[in-house]
Amino acid sequence: MNKNNIKQIVLDIIAEIAPDEDLSGVKSDIRLREQLDLDSMDFLDIVMELRKQHGIDVPEAEYRQLESLDSSANYLLPKFESGATA
Amino acid sequence: MPKTSTASNHYDVIIIGAGLAGLSSAVRLGMFGLKVLILEKHFVVGGLNSFYAKGGRKFDVGLHALTNFPSESSGKSSPLLKLCRQLRIPLDSLNLLEQSSSRISFGEIDLCFNNDFEFFLSEVEKVFPKEKDRFQKLLSKMVEFPAYSVDAKEISTREILGQELGDSLLAEMLLCPTCYYGSARANDIDFPTFIMLFDAIFKQGLARPDRGIRALLDPLTDKLKELGVERRMNSPVKSIQTDQIQVSEVILENGEAFTSDHFISTCGGLETEKLLCLPDTPRSFDLGRFSIIESISVFDGHPRDFGWDETVIFFNKSDKFFYDQPKQLVDLNSGVICLPDNYGPIDSSEKKEAKLRVTHPANFKLWSELSEQKYQKEKCFWEDVILQNGLKYLPLGESKSELFKNRTHLTDTFTPCTIKRFTSHENGALYGSPTKKRDGSTKFSNLFIAGTDQGYVGIVGAMLGGIAVANNQILRNL
Repeated sequence: MNKNNIKQIVLDIIAEIAPDEDLSGVKSDIRLREQLDLDSMDFLDIVMELRKQHGIDVPEAEYRQLESLDSSANYLLPKFESGATA
Repeated sequence: MPKTSTASNHYDVIIIGAGLAGLSSAVRLGMFGLKVLILEKHFVVGGLNSFYAKGGRKFDVGLHALTNFPSESSGKSSPLLKLCRQLRIPLDSLNLLEQSSSRISFGEIDLCFNNDFEFFLSEVEKVFPKEKDRFQKLLSKMVEFPAYSVDAKEISTREILGQELGDSLLAEMLLCPTCYYGSARANDIDFPTFIMLFDAIFKQGLARPDRGIRALLDPLTDKLKELGVERRMNSPVKSIQTDQIQVSEVILENGEAFTSDHFISTCGGLETEKLLCLPDTPRSFDLGRFSIIESISVFDGHPRDFGWDETVIFFNKSDKFFYDQPKQLVDLNSGVICLPDNYGPIDSSEKKEAKLRVTHPANFKLWSELSEQKYQKEKCFWEDVILQNGLKYLPLGESKSELFKNRTHLTDTFTPCTIKRFTSHENGALYGSPTKKRDGSTKFSNLFIAGTDQGYVGIVGAMLGGIAVANNQILRNL
């Protein structure tokens, strides 16, 4: 698992919860909200899908760590790695 | 992964009521793996927005219009788009048909509107030229007001319109459609609800799924099946058991008991408090009292054969709008007409038959006190009176009365008693209690109310309310 895998995982989730959004040009270092029409309900869904699909818990206070693909990758990588070795 | 309950009669969440709020919250919770049980006392889903068959034809109970149509001028801001995304039901699958045009009719004065907000603005300017600046100021005030936040102040719209507008007739004409589409208050509507409905009706717009309410109910029940959510129909809840802090179980009329970690009740605030069986606790919800009667005619041909091409007409006989429980069985002074066959493009209307629906305020108490025989007699009597009266508000309607009668081959009427049966609301209150609890919280930490008494009105509001309770009260805290 590396950061690019994680970015792809997050993008796949966004494609699932917001099928009407065009994800082809999404930039990693810019906040997702600035590039896509996502609101707090959509971010909840990203968190819930991470939990359902990958068994990863994101506490509510840390939802904002998912604001961009880069920040998501940085934040989630240790969680994915500890999950893989557990 | 969420810790899901394994004991057979224990659930993560029990939802009382399979209306749009209950079904929507169940989809959200089931989607993320929670073990959910829905208990519904009726034998069909939908609650107020249900359907039935009579004479081989299908009728919708609640749906006059699906508001919040994401029209070109309102763009992506419509809550309807949000709820489709949250429930993962593509908007396209609803096959929404837009209204032709609609009208607010007060005596001789008409204000027309369609799904282009600019047209409505031009109508207001045409009919009320002196109000132009004041109306613009009111619109700005409405945009600035935090109508959609959970703690929005429930101030009186009548007072605000009285202060902001010079011509009281415009105020009355704005109150009429907004009250009819969602006010639980007598003769007024609270300002945040007024703004939400104004946006939903005028800024966004009116539409109807081509298959009526089932276009929404079917995908919801299909999803629940897919997600393994259990649903028990014909299962009225007798009581909700509590200790001081938490709810522990629900007991059905037939004696069966179910335990759960969380409970969502959609049967109404007051009705939920009654199920709690705590006689010494003061009620926190007031009793609502606004209810309706609606008569439906099925006739041969198309409304356009009669020259009736509008979709919804909100009418009021005089220049003063009165919105309350009437002193007699029915109040004929104001009402709503819906011609559901006038949704959608004109050329797709090779229909053999069409419907006319006419709605008026009605008094639950008086209707509920009638003996069965008298009830049937009054229903028959008013059915005819209501349809005849309704024709007055359609172009040349009165002169076409005989022709219309000859072409009508089925009529039906539902009364405040029917509303009570479908919604379980005390008093058959169409929009529940005037007291609202937007976030759905109660004094019990694991009991939430959802639906009508959250105060997010209409079909879209009920669904969004159910979603918000599932999201904010349960999913976020997993």
